[in-house]
Amino acid sequence: MKIIATIKKEALLLIRDPGGLALIFLMPLGLVIVMALIQDAPFRDYQETKLEVVFVDNDKDSLGSKIKSAFLQSPNIQFISQKDSNAARSVVRSGKYKAAIIVPAGASRSLRIKNKQLIARIFANLGYPGPSTDSTEIPIPGIEVVFDPAIKVNYKQAIGNAVEKVVANVQSEWIVDQLQNQLGGTNSPKAKMKVDFSNVIQVRQQYASKNINEKFVLNSVQHNVPAWTMFAMFFILFPLAGNFIKEREEGSMLRLRLISGSEFPVMTGKFLFYFGVCLLQFVLMILVGIFVMPLLGLPQLALGNNIAGILVTACSVAMAATGYGLLIAVFFKTPQQALSFGSISVVILAAVGGVWVPVYVMPEILQHISRLSPLNWGLESFNNLFLRDAPTLAILPDVLKLIAFAMITLLISIYIHKSRTIS
Amino acid sequence: MNDAIVSIQSITKKYKGALQPAINALSLQIPAGSVFGLLGPNGAGKSTLVMMLCGLMSPDSGSIRLLGMDTQENGTDIRRRIGVATQEIALFPMLTATENLRYFGEMYGLPERAINQKIALYLDEFDLAEKANKRVHSFSGGMKRRLNLIAALLHDPTLLILDEPTAGVDVQSRNILLEFLMSLKNKNITIIYSSHFLEEAEKICNRMAIIDEGKLVTEGVPAELVGEQQDCATLESLFLKLTGKHIRD
Repeated sequence: MKIIATIKKEALLLIRDPGGLALIFLMPLGLVIVMALIQDAPFRDYQETKLEVVFVDNDKDSLGSKIKSAFLQSPNIQFISQKDSNAARSVVRSGKYKAAIIVPAGASRSLRIKNKQLIARIFANLGYPGPSTDSTEIPIPGIEVVFDPAIKVNYKQAIGNAVEKVVANVQSEWIVDQLQNQLGGTNSPKAKMKVDFSNVIQVRQQYASKNINEKFVLNSVQHNVPAWTMFAMFFILFPLAGNFIKEREEGSMLRLRLISGSEFPVMTGKFLFYFGVCLLQFVLMILVGIFVMPLLGLPQLALGNNIAGILVTACSVAMAATGYGLLIAVFFKTPQQALSFGSISVVILAAVGGVWVPVYVMPEILQHISRLSPLNWGLESFNNLFLRDAPTLAILPDVLKLIAFAMITLLISIYIHKSRTIS
Repeated sequence: MNDAIVSIQSITKKYKGALQPAINALSLQIPAGSVFGLLGPNGAGKSTLVMMLCGLMSPDSGSIRLLGMDTQENGTDIRRRIGVATQEIALFPMLTATENLRYFGEMYGLPERAINQKIALYLDEFDLAEKANKRVHSFSGGMKRRLNLIAALLHDPTLLILDEPTAGVDVQSRNILLEFLMSLKNKNITIIYSSHFLEEAEKICNRMAIIDEGKLVTEGVPAELVGEQQDCATLESLFLKLTGKHIRD
């Protein structure tokens, strides 16, 4: 009865506080949407980003054509043809384009001669007559790949690797051609077999979890919606601590302290009310992830298949956030102290916990520290559910840590609040 | 005094870092059914004493017994039977008068029917019925004080402790408050009335104590206290004589 009365009172106070409502519901919604949009490009990374690459083909032969056709097949590269090598270097240097591939004149011819010399050496070594060739070492003009210094390292590696792969494939094909010509004669149709090196060993890429499709990979929405939802849930300390300290300053808390046995129902009522608000925030943010994100051109939030696990995690995060808010509320004496410490601490816990950037990109020491943040426990649990389709048992360690954190903060809050009743 | 509802035995309270104790070896008996005035200049120790009577603060030494119970051992039971109107307006400004009273009634554990009856009765008695559904933040100082007193009365306390109940209110509100308090004299409720206003205290109190610098200066029936001092014709002159004329901050 007393707990319900406190929940009703808290609800009335919150409904009549438009600023508090905006802080709890509107600002987090804006935050989730903005962060998902901003981080969309970095999350899409090379695989999903359209990169403009300047291409200069001074070879005008097979090698240049092969490189061009290989890159043209890539959905992430847009080739900008350029005739002048210096101009190509210049536009990359200026940052207009991220990279340039310059195939030098005579590259194909040089590669053919080099291959022919190689075959001749192999045949001679085995005691067979090889192709007639000039044994003089010829310089191979290198394919130049120029990068904007501001290019991301993984883009640089991807383009460089792709060029090397094309050249290696071309070289392999030409060596086989040369071998066939040498062994079977150029007129024999049997000798003209085309060897496809791409199918020699198949590399099949798949995700380790069962029942997971492309929808479930880590992208901006999959990361930002649960991450910033938890951040917003922990910011419940703003209305919670703000109202609590206001009640203390205005005197209404004093009257409650004068009512016997009110400490537990007051604290529990507040806890349950703000726990409910946190859950409401969670549901709202998830709905935004499912229905609003696709309207903004972002991927739809995929929840995985363990809905019960999601509810358990959401409840435990809500408990932890409310417990932390209560602790801040009872511990500090002025709203300025509580809200300054509260907001900064939540930002730190969020940053360390992997809300801003995934934990795996952090330095090793931070990765260890991140395991101490309740936001990390929640995020790991959501990632397990959303991305790895984990069973409830797998999220249990993180959920138990969140519940333990909530219980400890709640009990300390009640103890501090009660101990201040008699000083 | 055998029928004392409050028995204070040589209590001392010194705040951390303070040079002098706020309450210094103070002993006092407050008879049941009395309207007892607790008077003193600023910083005399009145609010500290009130806090200790409510069980919100414990003395460093000595003991306080309220309703036959020790405040340190039976604080919970004592608070159930006392009503306190604090110097601060202890209400929720964003709730209406009814919502405030309903919430406090529920926290006292009163049944809903009793809460409704008391809200209607007291709002009418204190001339606040028309403002029942208005939020408290829109109330005048006098209206807030009246509502603050109602909140302390909801659970029918045996002992009512009032700390500066008329501070900052207009004449009309003060009149309503005082008339109501005088009406309680007949209902066997003991009232401890801490105030700066000597005239008010003289008007409604049948016993009073003057304290200064944490010590009891005098205690008794107001008229007798004045009569005991040959050169004091009024309570104010007695007060000034006993506590001095220098300004207190």
